[in-house]
Amino acid sequence: MLTSVFIAAISLALFWMAAFTLWWQMHAWRTPEVLASTRFSRPDGDDRLAFSLLLPARHEQAVLDHTIQRLLESSHTDFEIIVIVGHDDPETTEVARQAAARDERVRVVVDHHEKKNKPKAMNTALPHCRGDVVGVFDAEDQVHPELLAHVDHAFRTTGADVVQGGVQLINFHSNWYSLRNCLEYFFWFRSRLHLHAQKGFIPLGGNTVFVRTDVLREADGWDPECLAEDCDLGVRLSSVGKKVVVAYDSDMVTREETPGSLVSLMKQRTRWNQGFLQVYRKKDWKQLPGFGQRLLARYTLMTPYLQAVSGVVIPLNVAIALFLDVPVGIAFITFLPAVTALVTFVFELVGLHDFGKQYGLRVRFVHYLKLVVGGPFYQVLLAGAAVRAVWREQRGRNDWELTSHVGAHLTEVEAAH
Amino acid sequence: MTSTLPAVTTSTVPATRPAAPDIVHDRPPLQRLRTSRADLLLCGALLLAIIVVQGWNITDYPTLSDDEGTYLAQAWAVQQGKGLAHYTYWYDHPPLGWIQIAALTWIPAHINPSLMTVGSMRVAMLVVSAASAVLLYVLARRLSLPRWAAGLAMVLFGLSPLSVVLQREIFLDNIAVMWTLLAFCLAASPSRHLWHHFGAGIAAAAAVLTKETMLVVLPALLVTMWRHGHRDTRKFALTGAITACVLIGLAYPLFALLKGELFPGAGHVSLWDGITYQMSRPGSGFILDPGTGSYGVLHSWLYYDRVLIIGGLAGALLLLATWRWSVTARALAGPALTVAILALVALRPSGYLPAMYIIQALPFLALVLAGGAASLAHLVLRRWRGDEEKPYVTWGRRVTAAALVAVAALYVLPHWYDGDRTAVTADANAPYRAAATWLKTEVQDPADTRVLVDDALWLDLVHDGYRPGLGVIWFYKADLDPAVTKTMPRGWKDIDYVVASPTVRRDAVDLPNVKAAIEHSTPVATFGKGADRIEIRKIDESTGNTMTTTTSGGSR
Repeated sequence: MLTSVFIAAISLALFWMAAFTLWWQMHAWRTPEVLASTRFSRPDGDDRLAFSLLLPARHEQAVLDHTIQRLLESSHTDFEIIVIVGHDDPETTEVARQAAARDERVRVVVDHHEKKNKPKAMNTALPHCRGDVVGVFDAEDQVHPELLAHVDHAFRTTGADVVQGGVQLINFHSNWYSLRNCLEYFFWFRSRLHLHAQKGFIPLGGNTVFVRTDVLREADGWDPECLAEDCDLGVRLSSVGKKVVVAYDSDMVTREETPGSLVSLMKQRTRWNQGFLQVYRKKDWKQLPGFGQRLLARYTLMTPYLQAVSGVVIPLNVAIALFLDVPVGIAFITFLPAVTALVTFVFELVGLHDFGKQYGLRVRFVHYLKLVVGGPFYQVLLAGAAVRAVWREQRGRNDWELTSHVGAHLTEVEAAH
Repeated sequence: MTSTLPAVTTSTVPATRPAAPDIVHDRPPLQRLRTSRADLLLCGALLLAIIVVQGWNITDYPTLSDDEGTYLAQAWAVQQGKGLAHYTYWYDHPPLGWIQIAALTWIPAHINPSLMTVGSMRVAMLVVSAASAVLLYVLARRLSLPRWAAGLAMVLFGLSPLSVVLQREIFLDNIAVMWTLLAFCLAASPSRHLWHHFGAGIAAAAAVLTKETMLVVLPALLVTMWRHGHRDTRKFALTGAITACVLIGLAYPLFALLKGELFPGAGHVSLWDGITYQMSRPGSGFILDPGTGSYGVLHSWLYYDRVLIIGGLAGALLLLATWRWSVTARALAGPALTVAILALVALRPSGYLPAMYIIQALPFLALVLAGGAASLAHLVLRRWRGDEEKPYVTWGRRVTAAALVAVAALYVLPHWYDGDRTAVTADANAPYRAAATWLKTEVQDPADTRVLVDDALWLDLVHDGYRPGLGVIWFYKADLDPAVTKTMPRGWKDIDYVVASPTVRRDAVDLPNVKAAIEHSTPVATFGKGADRIEIRKIDESTGNTMTTTTSGGSR
């Protein structure tokens, strides 16, 4: 009897968790109107805002120049690019200086911090920004030339303080985990972030994010001690009521690549999880006015851990229902989380199809197969990263484990065009 | 259990439906139905009329059916915590139907357990009918029918004598219809919401788990959903709906699996056997072949209402034929396809056609007929109408429309009036009530008496103190259920009474124990006359095999 009640309670909790996650994940496709509203509206051709684009680069001499050249092709009339390099990184600095010498819109700021990380680098550059809006990109980003014009328009028409553009991993074909990684980004930027913007609580992304300079300075820039400074900034800004607008256009997203190896994916995910945990413990989200908003914040920031737990418990639950002698009614309840997981699975398959359509990429049968078969393994990976993050946070280790990039998305893009 | 509706007519009056060609409708108002006063008033008024006509005299007409008894007794078993049936549940139908009946009747049965009999619990079906009628109105409006046509569909569905008779009865089909209509309403959601379509999938699964024959309607539901989807979100909505439907539907085999009864095995029932039984039921013949069982069933339907069946069929054919030109036809594609599918299934030459088969078609026949009427009205009143139409032409249109309305009313109303008057006045169940009273008052020791009865009377006797299952016995279990036969080592001699209702006499032909019990008994009380009579027969162990009492009466 007690076992039954216990199992039922756990199953119902898991069910609601999975159901809410699914509900939010599918936000953009609720109705055609919602889907249409997630896009940038067409710019009016009137560029009014000046942009300062921050481009932190560390040991990225291989891709940096390409990124700068792409940014310079932007159709917007008023922007500057501030490349931030470390004082201990002469190769990257050299590439940056050459670019600055070629085009006066490019400037170089050197970060002299002894222990370096991305928020410190960007804080170093913040006083040098001359524009009305600060934008952040990564050194390996592929930025669409029309993006700035669209963002400019979005700022002016919506009165936003922050505009978050879409970021999309593209190299889904590279290996089994990159497929799932790409889809995670797809669902996050295509759908879930819009829900967060609508609810007034949003963990921002690491790049293609634009903030009004005065708002950013007022907030004292980024938190140099936080491993998820992007998430933290979003939480702090939205918690004090700043307006965040999210827009996603498949031809306007910033294209990125998945981490090159399982180990670096693991490291990246650990860093994010640890960052989310830090943001949770900073308690800025408690200023949110609505109870529902605070609940959403709590839930979102704890997601990595809930994910880890559910990944282990759901199969266990099904096994209990099948092999232990529990009443049929209880057995049915234990299947609820699995049912929700299956629905999520199916929507992921459809999502992969849509992803292929949106980006003009050929998704083959084997990819769908990989998506299904890789699911449980990816879940294990996520759980591992979650456990690792908790462990590191407990031990007080919060140094950056940087993800290295090989430029796989660049060839992918060329292949796709 | 096969059954036909009680009366059959021989006269043939062709039901003529006027042609309804291509039409462009007025778009429905963007105002939401639940805030539209006109819609609320119309729907509310019609609903009241339907509840009054269907509810008045509901216990006494039509004749209690064996199937009603079966489902209600199983609902009673669910309420009593005896599992899904008081005899072994053998996967004859998915159990969701009577689980819902159990829930619907829970409160009254809790207050007064003796209310749990077929006659009194028919009231619960009013709730189902009312819900279905409202859902049909909503669906009609969502499929762009004008207000009056939606009202017409509701009237056709709720007040046709055929509907009144069938919807009063405790049939699983009625509940399944409610779920199907909900599924269609959600599929035609004006907001095209992903989760509405998902909900449509769940409702469709509930319909199928209530009555498995709803499976054949699902393609039409999918068509409706496709038509109401948007290019950009359709693939998510449709896969979501299908996934929901499949996953919920899988609950049934999963249930069997958890009980270890998915596949056949020694000493237990199985889902596999249940399905095999249903698929291999002997056919009732080709529906258009006079003399077959199916033909009889068809005519029992036509006896109650021709307009709905023939008009609806014609309407469906017309809509499917004018698909390319008519906006109405495309709007009503789902319902028209439903009618077509159900008609084709009924036309299987060797299929089994029970009387309640028509129930699942009723709302769609009504919808398609109302749609046809709307098309016709548009043709007569609006088509080719310019800005400078001469007044006499306009008046000509109006007179034609009025004439058509008058002709239709003249044809339909007298027939309906007769049918519905019978429904609210006739008392078809006096013999049943009298038999129940006799068995309650005249039998000395009910707890020690063993009676074979048909399912419709079973619960009455349970309330009177007979032992459920082995004291008061569903008559066919005396031959078909090993758990019962093993308690009757001496066959008919272990029985005290047989209540020979028409159903019992009809089916006894194939049931040796029941047949022997009837042959070795004498009537101690008879209620009613002729083929509809109910005899209470007392087993007489001294009799030999040469009984003189007539055992015929019902015809199979």
